[in-house]
This record gives sequence, C-alpha cells and structure tokens, in this order.
Amino acid sequence: MILLGPLGVALVVFVAAILAALLLRFSGDLSRGPALTIPERAPFAGGEEPLMHAWNRYHARYYVMALIFLAFDMEMVYMYPWAVVFVREGGVAMVEMGMFIIVLLLGVLYAWRERAFAWA
Amino acid sequence: MRDYASPGVAILVVGSALLAGVYAVAVIDRMIGVLVAGQGPSWGRLLAEPVRSSAVLALQQRRTTERPDAPGWALAPALFAGLAAVALALVPLSRDLVAADPATGFVVFSAAIAMVMIAVYLHGWSPNSAFALHGAYRYGAQALSFQMPFLLAMLATALPAQSLSIVDIVNAQESLWNVVRQPAGLPLYLVVGVAVSFWGPLNLADGADLAGGTSVEDSGLARLLWAAARAAMLVAIAAMGASVFLGGWWGPWLPGAAWVIVKTTALLIVLIASGHLLARVRIQQFVLISWVLLIPLALLNVFVSGALLL
Amino acid sequence: MGLKRTLATLAAGAPTPVFAAAGLGAGAQVQDLRLHHQVRLVDTPSAASILLVAGGIPDSLAQSLSRLHDTMPHPRCTAWWPLGALPGLWLANFPHHVAIDHNIPERLRAIHGELVNGQRPSEPPMLADEDPAPWRGIGPYGQGGTGMTGGTPYGRPMAELGPDRDGLRLDVLPLNVGPFFPRFPAGLTLELKLAGDVIVETGIPVNLFRDSDQRNLRGDKISPFTRALSEPVLVSELELARARAHLRWLANALVACELRSLGLRVLRLATTIGSGEGDSLHSLQRVLGWTQALGWSTKGVGRVGADKLVGLGLGPVARASGLAEDVRAEDGVYRDLGFEPIVQSEGDAAARWRQRLAEAVQSLALAARAGDRLTDPGGVVESPHGRLERTTTPADRLLPLLPGLLHEMEWGDAVTTLVSLDLNLQETAAVEVVDAEAVA
Repeated sequence: MILLGPLGVALVVFVAAILAALLLRFSGDLSRGPALTIPERAPFAGGEEPLMHAWNRYHARYYVMALIFLAFDMEMVYMYPWAVVFVREGGVAMVEMGMFIIVLLLGVLYAWRERAFAWA
Repeated sequence: MRDYASPGVAILVVGSALLAGVYAVAVIDRMIGVLVAGQGPSWGRLLAEPVRSSAVLALQQRRTTERPDAPGWALAPALFAGLAAVALALVPLSRDLVAADPATGFVVFSAAIAMVMIAVYLHGWSPNSAFALHGAYRYGAQALSFQMPFLLAMLATALPAQSLSIVDIVNAQESLWNVVRQPAGLPLYLVVGVAVSFWGPLNLADGADLAGGTSVEDSGLARLLWAAARAAMLVAIAAMGASVFLGGWWGPWLPGAAWVIVKTTALLIVLIASGHLLARVRIQQFVLISWVLLIPLALLNVFVSGALLL
Repeated sequence: MGLKRTLATLAAGAPTPVFAAAGLGAGAQVQDLRLHHQVRLVDTPSAASILLVAGGIPDSLAQSLSRLHDTMPHPRCTAWWPLGALPGLWLANFPHHVAIDHNIPERLRAIHGELVNGQRPSEPPMLADEDPAPWRGIGPYGQGGTGMTGGTPYGRPMAELGPDRDGLRLDVLPLNVGPFFPRFPAGLTLELKLAGDVIVETGIPVNLFRDSDQRNLRGDKISPFTRALSEPVLVSELELARARAHLRWLANALVACELRSLGLRVLRLATTIGSGEGDSLHSLQRVLGWTQALGWSTKGVGRVGADKLVGLGLGPVARASGLAEDVRAEDGVYRDLGFEPIVQSEGDAAARWRQRLAEAVQSLALAARAGDRLTDPGGVVESPHGRLERTTTPADRLLPLLPGLLHEMEWGDAVTTLVSLDLNLQETAAVEVVDAEAVA
C-alpha cells in the first residue's frame, strides 16, 4: 500500500464522494419509465413556450470586478506564507504587507469611484 | 509526517459525518421554520420529514431538458459533494482523529471553497434553461466577491498558530479561543459562510425569484443530491468555523469529539436561522458591501490581531 | 422489491409536492394550502407530483397548463379544484384528471400515495412529441442546408446579437415568462428581452383573464369590493377585507424575500385577524424592519415617480409615491369616521410595503369604529389595489406602465418591483360578473 500522506487521503475522499454522488444520481435510472417526449423536456418558463436556447453570449456585467478579483487573488497567494512567518519576522513583516495591501486598496477605491461595482 | 487516517477510515468517518450533518441540517431547518412560523412543532413529524421527502424524490423520475450538457449536469452536484467532503476531511474531529491534516490544510480548504463556484456555475449552465443560467451567472458575481473576505477572516486565525495546518490552529487555541482573540473574525466568517452555500438571504443562485434558479429543471435524485450537497457544504463550513474560531476539541468535562459536535451544531443553528430571519440581499449590494466594507474589515482584523501578537 | 415498497410507504407520508395554478376565484384558497403540512407548494413543475388547477381558467391559458403538466416528472397527476367555476376548454386535454372539492390537503396526499404505490397510473404526456423545428434532411444537423448559410438549426434557434449598454457584441435573449410563474401574479405573461440579467425590453402585457368567458358564479365568492359597486356593504366588512387582502399580499411578498416561515406566520394572521387588532401589526412592522425586508431588500428598488401615476387611481402604489388619491376620501361615511389617506413619499418598493401595512392598521381601526354604517354604492370603490369601477380595474391601468418601469432592471429587482406592485389580474372578471348580473 503506497504511503498516501494527508493530501493523498484528501484526494481519495474527494474521489470517493464524487463516485458516491454519481452512483446515487444514476441509481434511479435502473427503473426507467418511457423515454421523454420533446414537450416533456421543455425548460420552465411559467407555462410559456421557450423561444430560444438559453445558452447565449451572456453579458456578465461584473467583468470589471472580476479583474480586480484577479489582483486580490494574487495578493492572497502572498499572504498565505506571510501568515506562517509573521510572528517570527515581527513588525517588518507587518509593515511590508501593509504597504502591499494599501496599494491594492487604493485600486479598490479607484474602481469604486469608477462605478465598477455599480451594476455589478 | 502530518497526521492522517487510512483511506478506508477517512471515507467512513467523513461519509457518516456528512450523512449525519445533512440530516441535522434538514431537521434544524424545519425546526426553526416551524418556530418562526408560529406553528406548534410536532417532533415525530419533524424528525421523519427529511427521510420521507427524500423518499419522494427517490421515487420521482429524473427528467432532462431539450439540449442539456448531460455530463456537466451529472458532475455538478457530484463536484459540490466532493468539495464538501474534502472540506470536512480537513476538520479535526478530536485530538487524535483527523481524516487528513496536510501542512497546508488551510490552503486546501480555501481551494475547496473556491471551486464551489465551478460546481454551481456548471449546475446552472448545463440544463440550457434561462433561469438556471441566470442563477449561475449571479452566483459568479457572488463567489468572486466573497472569496477575499473569506480568506482574510480565516487568515487571522493562522497568525497565532504560525502554521497553515488546521490541527496546529486548533492546538494554538488551548489557552484562548480565537473568537475571543479576534472577535471580528467569526461574524465575518459566518456572513461569508452563508454566501458560499448560497443559503437564505444570499440564495441568489437558487433563489425564489428565479423559481429555483440553478435547480429549476432538477427532479428526482438529482434534486435530492443537489440539496444534500448544499447542506453538506454548510456542515463543512460550520465544522471548520468551530475548529478555527471556537477552539475545536478544547473544552472541559466532555470528550473532544463531543465538543466538536456541540460547537458545529451551534454554528449550524446560526447559519440556518439566517435563512428564516433575514431578507434577501440584492446582488449589487452584496458585491459592493463585500469589496468596500468586508475586505477592509477583514484586513483590519488581520493587522490588529497581528499587532497584538507582536 | 422491498426497497421500492419501503420508499413508497415513506413517500406516502411526506408533504405532497404540488404545483398550483390558481385561476379565477382561487387565489386565497390556494394560498391557504400553505398552512397545511400535508401539502408543499413548489415553485417549478420539475419538483411537483401533482398539478393543482383551481378556479376558473380561461381558454387562452389552456395550452400553458398542458405545457406545465408535461414538464412534471413521473409519477404525476392533475387535480382540479373547481371552487364554483365552470369547466373550461382545458379540461378536455386532461382526461385523467381528478376532481376534488373538499378536504383538499388530505385528498392531495391520498392521490400522491396512490401514485407512489402504483395504484394510480401516472398521466401520459398531453402534447404531441413534435420538435419545435423539424428535421429538414439536409446538413449534418438536419438544418436544411450546409455550411455558413445552412438554414434554421434543428431544435430551437439561438439568441442573436443585440444593442448593448456597454457597447459590447453580446446577445439579447427573448424570453416569454408565462402565466404561472410563481412570483408573478397569476395570469401575467411578460414578453421580455434580456441582455444578461438586465431586462432591456418588455412588451405591454395582456390580461388574459379580462375577456375570458370563465365566470365564477358563486355569489359568496364575489369579493365585498365588487359587491360594493352596486349595493351597500357594511364598512366594517369592507375594511376588514381590505386589511386581510393586504396581509395576504404580504405573506406572498415575504416568500419572494426568502422569508418563507415569516410569510406563513403572516398568512395565519391574515386568516384570523379581526377588527381592532391593529397592535399586532405594529409588532409585525418592527419585525419586518429587523429582518431588513423593509431595508436592504426593497429600499430604492422600483422607484415610481408620482408624475407617472397621476389620475390613474392605483391605490397604495400611488399613495406610496406621494399622491393622496383615495376614493374613500370623497365618501361621507368615511369622512364621518375621520378617514384620511395615508401617504408615503419615496415611491420605492419599501414605501409600498410600508404603505400597505399602514393601510391595514388604518382599516382595522376603521372597521372597529364603523359599527353598522353602510357604504354608499356609487359605481366606484377603493379596492386594495386601487380605484375599481365597472369598466376598468387598477390592473388595467397599471399594466401599460410596466414596460417603462421594468426597463434596464436587474431580474431580482424586477421581481421585487412586480411583487411590490400587487397586481391582481383577476379582479376584472369579478367586475364583469357584476355587469352580467346587473344586465340580466
């Protein structure tokens, strides 16, 4: 038996849960009824006939906010190891991360003023 | 080598914890609902109802739509359940039992939470139905907004422990729970926890205004599975919150595992009660508040607790 | 199989999932089903086992019912609850339906039990198995051509590019949201064009209940407001009915705000409240404030300017925007009771919520003070929705305003606005009933 390590066990749990869920989902199909007709497969619209496929070039109006999220996501990558060494490094670590954060927060302020969050 | 259980034991523990947790969520939800509605709770009926409703769904046909993305539609609830399982596997259930405790457990948990967006989006996109698609995109906005407050609220708990491993974070709370050291952390975590599992006031993915949103076309076992996965994620979030904020297994008189269960249940009750006591939040407001209020608050929490440690 | 039998036994005891299509004269009765634990009203037919059709359904809505029925998963059944209405054309499409008229929750649960136990066969599909765009034979997808100019795609067409607010090349999706969408008033069909989650265009909706030949002829079902058009009615009865109508609206509106349990509490209050019990509504208003139903959920949503509503007699909607229009203010009986119209100024959804709550409190106080006074029938009545006359209803006058109101609104805000407007498309048929009786 290969030594899995904690990440390996987490992966095993992940895959096992996915397989269990898929098994549960498809287990009811064993006693399948008659095949569905086209009207039985219509998407719900309150009783009206659906005019078009729902898939379309959807305007996700929060796309500007998504770009700001990317910047903060990269900041999070740096905060993970920072949290581990913070106490050891002392005030220097706090000041350095503080400067980083302030630059990013200024970006958020600018985005707010430019109404990036206003549909959003 | 960090602590972990053998695969079989891990699957067993996480599986039974999730099943018990999902049932508990269903019962607590109905109980709080009955209390708020002012009806007299009939305990026998309340305890049996989740099982009975699951039986109804198990006997219902699983329908499909005209041009769905069938593999995506099947994988979405499975992925959601898998992520909930991983998140719960990282929670130490007692001093000696944890399914998986990698040195970067915190990062694995954050990754699991981040991937929820993929599961929900896939679930909404796959049926090729207008309301489902709308719920998926709305959850995209919600998910992008809550990631930062979530991470930052939890990050402050890693500072005293000087480690990203969940067991280390719980061990660092032997003398004082994090909720006392960093009082702003738990409320922030709970707000974002409601957002992650799109519960109650933040139910923008499966909302009532979308006739069920991403689950509008679900029936039978698919509907049951999606509801169970949502409840499972809620349980995982409550359990993790109990570990990193409320001290996990630390506590007098009772064994560690009992304390974990008690604390998880307490957080579950708070999370579920929000669905009965708080009105729906608009997506524009949630995005704005999340970026302009919650992130600075969470950052303040991190830096103030950091300064207090030095 | 033992497993199937166990599941069937468990399922027979569960709350029956029912999708309710409430027609003429059935709105309040269907809403009351929420109070029973044997029945669970669901938002989509995919979650339902029984399609409950209640009240009078006009022939123009028959096709919608067939579509809803077919999207229910097996095992399924249709139940018809006449409530005094005549059978319509739609019934011919439903040969296997079950007619129910009393003890509805238990009957529905019994039907569901028979379905899961196999004692009742599941209903076959109503509509023919036809593809929306037929197979044309030519081309890899049967679309009627090959290459770039290859005809209509097999199946439904896909959305086309449309003008976009941000100048991007993105699609506009036409979507008709039908008569029985759970958060819309029954009978409202909106022809929408959506760009993302924002409504860019709405057609002026038609009230399909208006010219229908469906009548609800049972005298006691006709609301006191319709009766007050032609005969004197007790003021206390009228005002109590008004307060109850506002509370019923609130129960529905709370469901749209994801506060289902609180909605149940308000619904019970609506069925049991009596004259002079306005104090319980004060605590209700406080609770609504804490839950933020009057706060972040509705504040600033769906603002309507008073200039758009002048002279239309739209009741609480107009008064919430600052217009002091109320038919009761001209009635001598009400003036004796010291009636004065309540007015808010913001004109948003929160103001309309507060307006109806305040009017409910006012109505209960009026009902307690009224004693034996009777109204003066003058052909015009202030219903809970606005100025009701023999020829027009408040909904008729509000529907043309909807396209302007919903323009460029996000979907959630649009639903909140529609819910706060309290459109009632079924008042119209009651008016015509009075007309027919007066003429006959």
